[in-house]
Parts: sequence; structure tokens; C-alpha cells
Amino acid sequence: MKNWWKAFLGAFILIGLIAWGWWRFAPYSFHGMVMQSPEPAPDFTLLSKDGPVSLSDFRGKYVLLYFGYTFCPDVCPATLANLAQALHQIGRGAERVQVIMVSVDPERDTPEKIGEYVAHFDSSFIGLSGDPKDIARIASLYGIFYEKEEVAGAAGYLVTHTASVRVIDPEGRLKLIWPFGATPDEIAQDLKFLLRR
Amino acid sequence: MRRKRFVFLLLLLALLLTACGGKKGGLRVEGAWGRPSPKMAMAGAFYMTIYNDGAQDDRLISAASPACGTVELHESYMTPEGAMGMRPVAGGIPVPAKGKAELKVGGLHIMCIDVKEGFEVGKKVPLTLHFEKGGDLSVEVEIRQEAP
Repeated sequence: MKNWWKAFLGAFILIGLIAWGWWRFAPYSFHGMVMQSPEPAPDFTLLSKDGPVSLSDFRGKYVLLYFGYTFCPDVCPATLANLAQALHQIGRGAERVQVIMVSVDPERDTPEKIGEYVAHFDSSFIGLSGDPKDIARIASLYGIFYEKEEVAGAAGYLVTHTASVRVIDPEGRLKLIWPFGATPDEIAQDLKFLLRR
Repeated sequence: MRRKRFVFLLLLLALLLTACGGKKGGLRVEGAWGRPSPKMAMAGAFYMTIYNDGAQDDRLISAASPACGTVELHESYMTPEGAMGMRPVAGGIPVPAKGKAELKVGGLHIMCIDVKEGFEVGKKVPLTLHFEKGGDLSVEVEIRQEAP
């Protein structure tokens, strides 16, 4: 009788180990473009509403880096709202994630303005602006394209820009790029996977 | 007698409801929504599906709202290089007969420029749509975090 009990316990532990191994080591496919050999993400310093902020200030955290502008009613709010919702989904893990939006419209976006704008989506989000020349240099280092387009109407001009989100790992390497349109669920799944490593 | 009166009241209620449901001629609007935006935001977007149950093609040519300084019709698009751009829609948004026009994230949208007061979740923003043939249609845009 006792042997039966032992066999049962053994099987139970074995199944548990297999489940844990699967959870820990199973192949995972990300919802964005994965950098096979992550390169160091170029460091930069720009202005937040509370003063200068550098990318390297966030070593130890995953940084979700997005380039956009506040006079952007569709694509940028959709992306920031999706990021905010994903952070909400991952709960406490969100403490190890920092969302940073860099303005590609520094002429209209002051550090105060973009700071207030991003905080509207999540109080932890950081908005950065600065010298247009610095921003142009940083954007090109990250493969971000942006260009002003003069339009008729009240907008004056709009900015066409790369709308993907770059994920920088806690060691400061560019790890992953989510395309525009990645859903909160997809973002949350990827972050959960990254955070349990 | 009582029953007749009840049926009459129901009919009246149904009539009133159809009258209020953002419907005009063959045109009706469903799922009008927009994201919350702070007062300092220069612009916000409204999304909806416009149905044309009529037999005549129509076109949304402009829109107006007391909550916005200016309202324009815009479209987001992806450049061949993969960047996202936005442009005013020239000539309005067609709403084909027995068809629909979908205004959604990353595509066609109504742009509210110079948001006069912040849009908080739950707020209903009045919006009047001007159609080429169907005339004016008043709708309420519900402010919410995600598409209904």
C-alpha cells in the first residue's frame, strides 16, 4: 500500500518538473523583430520636464523607447495606450519597465509639454525633448525616420515618423522591436517572457 | 384597454429611440469613440463606423464639434519605408450605398484640433457630421480607453 503512495508522489513530482522545465525553457516566439545578437543601444541625454535624463539612467530595467509627437491624434496615442495597458497587465513586473517617448517635433514639443502628455497615459512614462539637432542624431542612430509634412488646415504641419517601439534590455542592449499595431496582449506576453529570465 | 395603452407606449418609446440613435435618412453611425486626451493635447481622434442603408452613395465632407477648435478628416497611412504618416482626406470620406465607411485606429479618423476641455473617460462629446447628400447627422462620441 505504501509503495503505491510513493509511486503516486514520484509521478506527481516528475510531472511538476516537466511542467516547470517547459515553462522555463520552451522556445518562445516574440511578437516583434528580435535582435539575434543584441548590440549596445546608443546612449543619449535629453530633457524631461524634471531635467536631463539619459538612457543609461535606466540600466537594470527594460526600456521601451518610442519616437512620436504630441500633435498626433491617432498613431501615437494608440501606441502609448497599448503600452500602458500592457504594463497594467503585467502587474508588479511593470516596476522593471520604463516607457520613454522622444519627441520628433521638438519645435512644438517642449519637455514640459511632452512630459505632461505622456503622463496622461501612465504616470510612470517619461517624455523627452531637446535640441532638434540632438534629436535628429539620436533618431538616426536608432534607425528612426521622421519628416515634417506641410498640410493644408489647422494642423500646419504633421510629422511622418517610424512608429515602432524599441525594447532595450537591462544591460542596455537593443533586444526587440515591436511594429506599430502590436496589441497590449502581445506586448504583455513578450514582457512577461523577458522579465522571467 | 390597459394592454392597448401599453402597446401604444412601447411603440412610442421605440419611435423615440430610433429618433435618438444617430440616424438620419439612410445614414447611421455606430460605435463612435475617442481616447481620453488632456486639455493640453493639441489634437484627439474620433473613430466610428458610418452605415449607409440608403440606395444613394454619399460622402462625409466635414464635421464640427463645440468641444474642438477645428475638426478635420484625416487618414493615417504607412509609407513604403514603413513609417507612419498622416494626411487630410481630400474630397471627404465616401460612404457607398448599402455599404459603410470604417474610421479606425491607424486609418481614417476625425481629428479634433485644439481640444477645448479635457476628454475624460465616460464623457460624451457632441459631434455633427456633414454629408454631401444626407445633410447633418448629430452623434455622441464616447470617450473610452479602447475601441468598443
